Amino acid sequence: MTALPLLLLIAGLGLIGWLTARGRAAGFDRGGAKRLHSLPGQHGWYVALWTVVPALLFLAVWSVASPGLITQRVLEQPAAAQLPAFDFERGALLAEARRVANDPAAKAYDPLAAELAPAMRAAQRHYGWMGTIAAILLAFAGGAFAWSRIGATFRARSRVENGVMILLLVASLIAILTTLGIFLSLLWESLRFFEQVPFWKFLFGTHWSPQVIDAHDPGASLGAVPLFWGTFFIGAVIAMIVAIPFGLMSAIYLTQYAAPGVRKWMKPILEMLAGVPTVVYGYFAALTVAPAVRDLAVMLGMPFASSESALAAGLVMGVMIIPFVSSMADDSIAAVPTAMRDGSLAMGATRSETIGKVLIPAALPGVVAGVLLAVSRAIGETMIVVMAASGAATITLNPFESATTVTKQIVDLLTGEAEFDSPKTLAAFALGLTLFVITLLLNIVALSVVKKYREAYE
Amino acid sequence: MNSARTPTDWNAPAMRRRIRKRYSAERRFKAFGLAAVVLSAAFLAFLLVTMAWNGARGFTRAEVALPIDFKALALAVDRASLSTPGADLALSGAELENAVKGAAVTAFGPGGDALISGHGWIKVRDAVKADPSLLDREAVIQVPASTKVDQGEDAAGVARLNGAGALSRHFNSDFLSQSNSTDPMAAGIWGALKGSLMTMLVTFLIAFPVGLFSAVYLEEYAPRNRWTDLIEVSINNLAAVPSIIFGLLGLAVFLGSWELWGHSFGPLMPRSAALVGGLTLALMIMPVIVIASRNAIKAVPPSIRDAAFAVGASRVQVVFHHVIPLAMPGILTGTIIGMARALGETAPLLLIGMRAFIVTPPGSFTDPATVLPVQIFLWSDEVSRGFIEKTSAAIIVLLAFLLAMNGLAIYLRNRFETRW
Repeated sequence: MTALPLLLLIAGLGLIGWLTARGRAAGFDRGGAKRLHSLPGQHGWYVALWTVVPALLFLAVWSVASPGLITQRVLEQPAAAQLPAFDFERGALLAEARRVANDPAAKAYDPLAAELAPAMRAAQRHYGWMGTIAAILLAFAGGAFAWSRIGATFRARSRVENGVMILLLVASLIAILTTLGIFLSLLWESLRFFEQVPFWKFLFGTHWSPQVIDAHDPGASLGAVPLFWGTFFIGAVIAMIVAIPFGLMSAIYLTQYAAPGVRKWMKPILEMLAGVPTVVYGYFAALTVAPAVRDLAVMLGMPFASSESALAAGLVMGVMIIPFVSSMADDSIAAVPTAMRDGSLAMGATRSETIGKVLIPAALPGVVAGVLLAVSRAIGETMIVVMAASGAATITLNPFESATTVTKQIVDLLTGEAEFDSPKTLAAFALGLTLFVITLLLNIVALSVVKKYREAYE
Repeated sequence: MNSARTPTDWNAPAMRRRIRKRYSAERRFKAFGLAAVVLSAAFLAFLLVTMAWNGARGFTRAEVALPIDFKALALAVDRASLSTPGADLALSGAELENAVKGAAVTAFGPGGDALISGHGWIKVRDAVKADPSLLDREAVIQVPASTKVDQGEDAAGVARLNGAGALSRHFNSDFLSQSNSTDPMAAGIWGALKGSLMTMLVTFLIAFPVGLFSAVYLEEYAPRNRWTDLIEVSINNLAAVPSIIFGLLGLAVFLGSWELWGHSFGPLMPRSAALVGGLTLALMIMPVIVIASRNAIKAVPPSIRDAAFAVGASRVQVVFHHVIPLAMPGILTGTIIGMARALGETAPLLLIGMRAFIVTPPGSFTDPATVLPVQIFLWSDEVSRGFIEKTSAAIIVLLAFLLAMNGLAIYLRNRFETRW
């Protein structure tokens, strides 16, 4: 049975359990006691949880385990003896047999796969029915067990409440699991990469050209320094040259000068800049900004300027980051005690003098933290650089020349037609790990600065 | 004791000069601030206007009124098959495509078949299917013009069609009802939009309950200990992880192969499917929902909880009957904002393979699918000029969805949020 009807069936069984148990609990003999410990509905929930949860847990485990069992059963076929011993080809053949088994209309390219497909289909059906029947039996068994336990003196409420608490706890553990999952999967693939390419060669090599990889020395063309430089140059230099003055000045204007009506309207409008999807920015950068930047470069006397310049991507990225800088600056300026501002104004300082000499120095840690967060956002930004920056890895200080970034290379490496184990694919995970670690460090530093600063004024 | 200082003479020329200088510095500073705000807003306006300008034409297309004499053609079609599902096959088997090209040559002279889109015959096919009696007479059918005519690149062709009075511009309903195509005249966004909606459904079904439950646990149940701190730190860090990292996670976990106890198995899920995309995006926006929900739950005053406990409610009853309903507007606002972020996201979906060329809209959650932002990305790479308009038009549709979602979030916040 396919997944959806089975899930609906189990949910239906749970509902039946809930209704019948509630009905039964409503008629419990109170035995002289004024009240029962638990409401009928809570007895109902007790039975429903016992019906649904074990069956679902079983299905979750089964859906992970059954592909392995199916493969094993297919491998026991006599025809499977002809399968190549090499893991990769073997996997590809089995995958093809699976595809043909799932879709009778599909054609197999390999006769062996076509031969294995019926066995695959039979095994799938066999284990599919096995899982379905086991899940339904479990649902009935769980329901029956719970049904046998409920009674007038049974404390269903406490049980159900504990069950709910475990459910909530499991939900909140998913965040930890995701973090761990990210870290371990990146680390796992990166370690496999570093088996083939020495760690130092990757981190400090200055030549990056994954299109041509020497099979004997893949590290020679996988040196990531040009990518780190390009990422830093576009995300932390050019984008910040745009974002910091604009963000900071708009925050100052909107908090210190603007009339409340203007502030009420302009703030959401500026925040819309952060809500525009990055693919739209990327398209805009590639279509409108990049040609304009190239024309400017030609005008400035660089006839061979790239139409995929670092400047175009950086400028647009800077605009995207404005709201982040602005809202962080806004928060930290608002956190400066009013007494400091009033004191300065009372001494006869103009507003701009107050802002420049009192508010900004006092808010500086918060502003710096905001800038760090903005940098971490900018270096992790993908679509703008994928669409507007170049793929050629060069180390340059000229913003009109092309530069590439870590994120752009990850996308380029993984959207090609390389197999999963090649150094090219694994390099993307090593780049991802680097990116993850750097953004994590930036965030930790920024958050601790904010925390410290907040304590200073509290 | 008398001070030796003389009071400041504010009218002395030096002092006046100084004050003038300070005041003009003040005005300059204020003007800089205003300029920053105005320029930022102007950039947004410029972006939107550029998209609207390029995209407005993308919703329309040039169409040619093509006269076809079906009677003279005498297509070998079994009339009875036209009402069956095999009609498409029967008509393409009857060389309808060539017949339409021939009709174009007859109507507009040699080279006339290059003036209509390569997909033009599909319109004719649909017209015949809708009204089989066409096969016995002469008819004029509106078919899309070729890209070059649509873009005005083929001036001679445009002049020829105008001379025949056959060229007109209409709203392009195919753009909203068809899927991707190599021909910009026939390309549409429905396949991508449907993929987006299915992906969003998966994302919502996972991220909303998980996010809400973790927020409830952290606010209402969690003891203050190291584990709780670890959960909080994880959530705050996940919120700042670049989206592309989630794509790598999805690629490695859902689509990679696993090794357990010496057995290698996997991938756990089909490539390019809405299910994988939805799961990946759900992990990405879950922290947003948790943080918003926690703030909303925190804002419910303790007196509500105390009152419920005082009349004998159990903990689950307090949380599920009182706290969550009161916090719901804030929770929903956060959820919608998170969903809007997921809807506009491209990078992680590129990595898990949702960039396939999808001609038929996905029928199930495990079918290969693409989403609207990825479709925009794919079209932006196309060389044909017709796709520039289509890309901008697709961007307009995407922005309209995002605007509607954010508008709904703002409405919910203003309408239902209670301040205690």
